[in-house]
Amino acid sequence: MKEKKPFIYLNNAATTWPKPRAVTEAVTASLAAPVFGAGRTAGTEGEDYPTLAREALARLFHAGPPEHYIFTQNATDSLNLLILGFLAAHPGPCHVLTTALEHNSVLRPLHELEHTGRISLTVVPFGEDGTVSQAAVQAALRPETRLMVMAHGSNVLGTVQDVGAIGEILHEHGVYFIVDGAQTAGHIPVDLGTLQVDAYAFTGHKGLFGITGTGGFYLRDPGAVAPVRVGGTGTDSFSLLQPQEMPEKFEAGTPNYPGLAALAAGVEFVLSVGVEAIAEKAERQTASMIRALKEEPNIVVYTAHPTLPIVSFSIRGMDDDDLGFILARAYGVVGRTGLHCAPLVHQAIDDGKGCVRLSLSWFTTDDECRTAAEAIREVARHADHSVDSA
Amino acid sequence: MRIIRSIRHKSCADGTLMKEFVLSAPLTEEFFMYLKGFGEVAAKPGIGEGFYTFEKPDCFSIKGFAGDTSVEVRFRHEVIDLTTDFVYSLFALYRDGDPDLVTLKRREAKVVARVHEHLYGR
Repeated sequence: MKEKKPFIYLNNAATTWPKPRAVTEAVTASLAAPVFGAGRTAGTEGEDYPTLAREALARLFHAGPPEHYIFTQNATDSLNLLILGFLAAHPGPCHVLTTALEHNSVLRPLHELEHTGRISLTVVPFGEDGTVSQAAVQAALRPETRLMVMAHGSNVLGTVQDVGAIGEILHEHGVYFIVDGAQTAGHIPVDLGTLQVDAYAFTGHKGLFGITGTGGFYLRDPGAVAPVRVGGTGTDSFSLLQPQEMPEKFEAGTPNYPGLAALAAGVEFVLSVGVEAIAEKAERQTASMIRALKEEPNIVVYTAHPTLPIVSFSIRGMDDDDLGFILARAYGVVGRTGLHCAPLVHQAIDDGKGCVRLSLSWFTTDDECRTAAEAIREVARHADHSVDSA
Repeated sequence: MRIIRSIRHKSCADGTLMKEFVLSAPLTEEFFMYLKGFGEVAAKPGIGEGFYTFEKPDCFSIKGFAGDTSVEVRFRHEVIDLTTDFVYSLFALYRDGDPDLVTLKRREAKVVARVHEHLYGR
């Protein structure tokens, strides 16, 4: 009988697991009663999950009104709606800035638009510390620059960008600023009330502890973006044009009620623990894991001082996919291998080969971090022991 | 030993298509030693119960642990239709340590010729 391996889930930058009990209970409760939504039922009783989720998000991000939080399928969906919606609202030539830290959720929409000639695009590089400097952004600006889209947190390096300072520069030049918060929402304090950010995209299933298939964006000025997905809202049904009120302007079709029940519960969980406490624990555990890995000379750590709970690394002389396979099969440590949908980051740090990424959540224990680090060090010690005798 | 079913697949950044197969019996060190007759095998016996990789250049690679009843195969995308059947044969004709090498070598020669023609025109 084979010994049962532990199961250490460290792929939380992809999707957090486990979920707080309140989240799974909220999903079950949402399915145990008929859908309740104004304009969609004559029923008078039930939970208004979209409103609960909007109000919780407004408290978490310190910015309101809650109606300015729009729900989508995920962060990629949010970014597509924001980018295409901004361009629909601003016809004419458009130069766009983005960064080499981006996920394909930003790179692909922008490169598709560049490919069709709708925009011109400049990709701003990042420095050795894994951040994009204000000077680099300043240098990339042109008179015709209208839009910048950038990641708040890198999903490979774990670094967080100073979007406040960059936003100030952009706004001095009249540039609209969309921030991809897929890796920061719920992980670190984000004050959208004071940050010079025009729109902030988030996903529900990562740091906010919701389930997959949920996401959204915060939009400061609804007039700056046009809706590109329109349809039934359950309101103003005589009008054959999309209502302009928020949130109906951007939300067409029946919402994902179980998903929003989960999101509301997840955000409430984050609020109850405190995002500062979440960030503090993550920083301590991540630093400790990186220290442990750096003790082994065969291990190359790409995240020297990440703010987010992300540890990206490789082992000299070992294919990263083999490494991920070994960690999962022999040690029960589940991370993610490859390019992490961020090809330009990997071009800069590992010649595009890819690496292994481990990512923590509030539920990750110190013991799991120690066990995972020890497993990686053990594999690294075997890295040169290839015994191919062919 | 046979491939029972495929349980996972993904397109990889290096242009390969990965498929994970469930096997009718656990992998063994002997099985990978047998694969040496058809390509390059590397072993890291100190990891788990032994980690093995097999590389058939231009065609596919296999990786797995001794004792596991699943295996990962990466197919070179352009020639997957030409090579999949041979992968199944490598498992099926191993016959628990008594492989049908004559049949396998004949099939290997055919597959390699077709792959080279497809990739290099010769």
